[in-house]
Amino acid sequence: MLVTFPHMGTLDIILKALFRGAGLLVLPPPLVTRQTLELGAKYSPETACLPFKIALGNYIQGLSLGADTIITCGGEGPCRLGYYAEVQKNILTGLGYKFDMIAIEPNIKSVWHVVNELVGIKKWRQLYQAIQLAGAKLAATDSIERQSWFYRPREVAVGQVDQLRNNVLQTVDAAIDKAGVASALSKFAGNLAKLVIKPDFQPLRIGLVGEIYVMLDHFANQDLVKKLGQLGAEVYGTILLGDYVHTHISKNRVARHSYQTVLKLAAPYLGHYIGGHGIDSIGNTIKLGQEGFDGIIQVFPITCMPEVIAKNILPEVSDAIDIPVLSLGFDEHTGTAGMVTRLEAFVDLLTYRRRKQA
Amino acid sequence: MALKVGIPRGLLYYYYGDLWRNFFQLLGIEVVVSGTTTKQMLDQGSKIDEVCLPVKVYLGHVCALRGKVDWLFIPRVISVAPKQYSCPKMMGLPDVVRANFPDLPPMLSVDVNLRKSRFVLYRAVVDLGKRLGKSPWSSLKTWVRASRQIDAVAVKQDESVSGIRIGLVGHPYILKDSQISMDITGKLVRLGVRVIDVGDVPREEANSAAERLTKPIFWNYCQRLVGAALALIYSPRRLDGLVYVTSFSCGPDSLLGEMLGWHARKCNIPLLTLALDEHTGEAGLVTRLEAFVDMLDRRNKLCW
Repeated sequence: MLVTFPHMGTLDIILKALFRGAGLLVLPPPLVTRQTLELGAKYSPETACLPFKIALGNYIQGLSLGADTIITCGGEGPCRLGYYAEVQKNILTGLGYKFDMIAIEPNIKSVWHVVNELVGIKKWRQLYQAIQLAGAKLAATDSIERQSWFYRPREVAVGQVDQLRNNVLQTVDAAIDKAGVASALSKFAGNLAKLVIKPDFQPLRIGLVGEIYVMLDHFANQDLVKKLGQLGAEVYGTILLGDYVHTHISKNRVARHSYQTVLKLAAPYLGHYIGGHGIDSIGNTIKLGQEGFDGIIQVFPITCMPEVIAKNILPEVSDAIDIPVLSLGFDEHTGTAGMVTRLEAFVDLLTYRRRKQA
Repeated sequence: MALKVGIPRGLLYYYYGDLWRNFFQLLGIEVVVSGTTTKQMLDQGSKIDEVCLPVKVYLGHVCALRGKVDWLFIPRVISVAPKQYSCPKMMGLPDVVRANFPDLPPMLSVDVNLRKSRFVLYRAVVDLGKRLGKSPWSSLKTWVRASRQIDAVAVKQDESVSGIRIGLVGHPYILKDSQISMDITGKLVRLGVRVIDVGDVPREEANSAAERLTKPIFWNYCQRLVGAALALIYSPRRLDGLVYVTSFSCGPDSLLGEMLGWHARKCNIPLLTLALDEHTGEAGLVTRLEAFVDMLDRRNKLCW
């Protein structure tokens, strides 16, 4: 059995640690490129969302390389993600691939069943260690992301932060124990501290809200975070993988509490959970607005149902708490130049606005 | 003073409209339902970006009721069955209306979420009654009476006509609104086709056909739709073709179309998918329907 899975930002680092630690043979799909997307889009329903298409591209490439098992997630709606696996399984079967699709449903019974089938519950000690290592890598990748947000707008020589980031991600990926992860992290922090940074620079602070896949995956969002950093804005992403895991999977108390706060903030504008991250987008816009951020960018795959609803409510929120909001939808036709122009215009507007307020 | 409650003729009106109207009328409240969809309504609703056509039409109906009623009835239908949802757009509907259309009459909104328990419905009915100044008991009694009158209605099928049989698959809020669907049913009938609407498939048949799905669909209305479509596809009486009418950016339909296509191919039934939006031209639609019917006709002559 050779396992493959879909990409999403740096998720592959964590999944590799988890699956390999559990004793599975893993073949990660090739890094996402234009070709992956084109392959996926070719065989996907026309108006399926971008993550669906990229994931399908990942599967096609992974299976072509020899993988025979796909591990992915199920779901119970109302976001389309929950039904991805069913439809993708049909499409891939129709294309003639022979494989097993294991969709892990978000309930304890399904998780137990899958773990028992693939690994065997008896290997609990090995499983525990795999989860520990994956957890350490998860915390590390999140921390790397946070530090990059801070240093990107402040670096004098453009591109250094990203170089360091790429290097440390590779080291973390290769680390075989928690000590390796920790030493990579501290080396990264040391290197960042040595960077020449602009003195007394007060970058614009821009909050990112929206859908998790497009927010985390630099291919899907066309390096939005990097571009904003280079335009002199400090980005704060409201969703990181770790936040998501702590809020919805391990149900960490602190994470749950801050999630509840966000929901409460959103309540006057959106009265109910609408799937995906729709309500988070509203709540986080308000939260960041109150914290004095300069602007908000909402990112989502075009046709994403929850985010389309959020998008149509955000103008009201923007007026009420007086913070500029830019909504950016992404699909396989999104051109980089058009997006950069909009980002530049938005950053100009925020700079002007800050100067006026000072 | 007689209160007037306005119900927009769109989306779930086509499922529960009669029940809602009955309920309010039995409570002694005057009900105003917006008229049939007009071009103007569509223009007003198109102010909203990226949502599907039926939602735009719904918003147009909301605008049409402006100034004519004391309350606007826009329920938030989250779920009508265990483990299922309606659709994110329906779940956010009252908020989208409020955020984008100021100066509307006050909204009579109530959350209906039957995911965990059916009794939530009765609480919703009581809440609704309370806001209209009715006692819990009389609201509940009225609700039961109103729903009994609806249950009695059954659809009869006419199976005598011969000729090409086409199954027409689509949400009732698309098919029954002739502005959105451009009267596809009528156009097919005029081409001499016997049209079988998925809406006429009995619920039990749809439910049992839906068991062919390897994973149940968690959007309630889509589960019904696909179940009914599968009942037609796998029915012993042969179907010559399927026409699947959807709106361009309908999220669930984008995935379900793929599933339908898969089953139709398996049974060797041709499928025509028509995705509609406000830019769809009538002539193009007619041409495609004619071509499809011609093809089926030819196919039948060759095969049988």
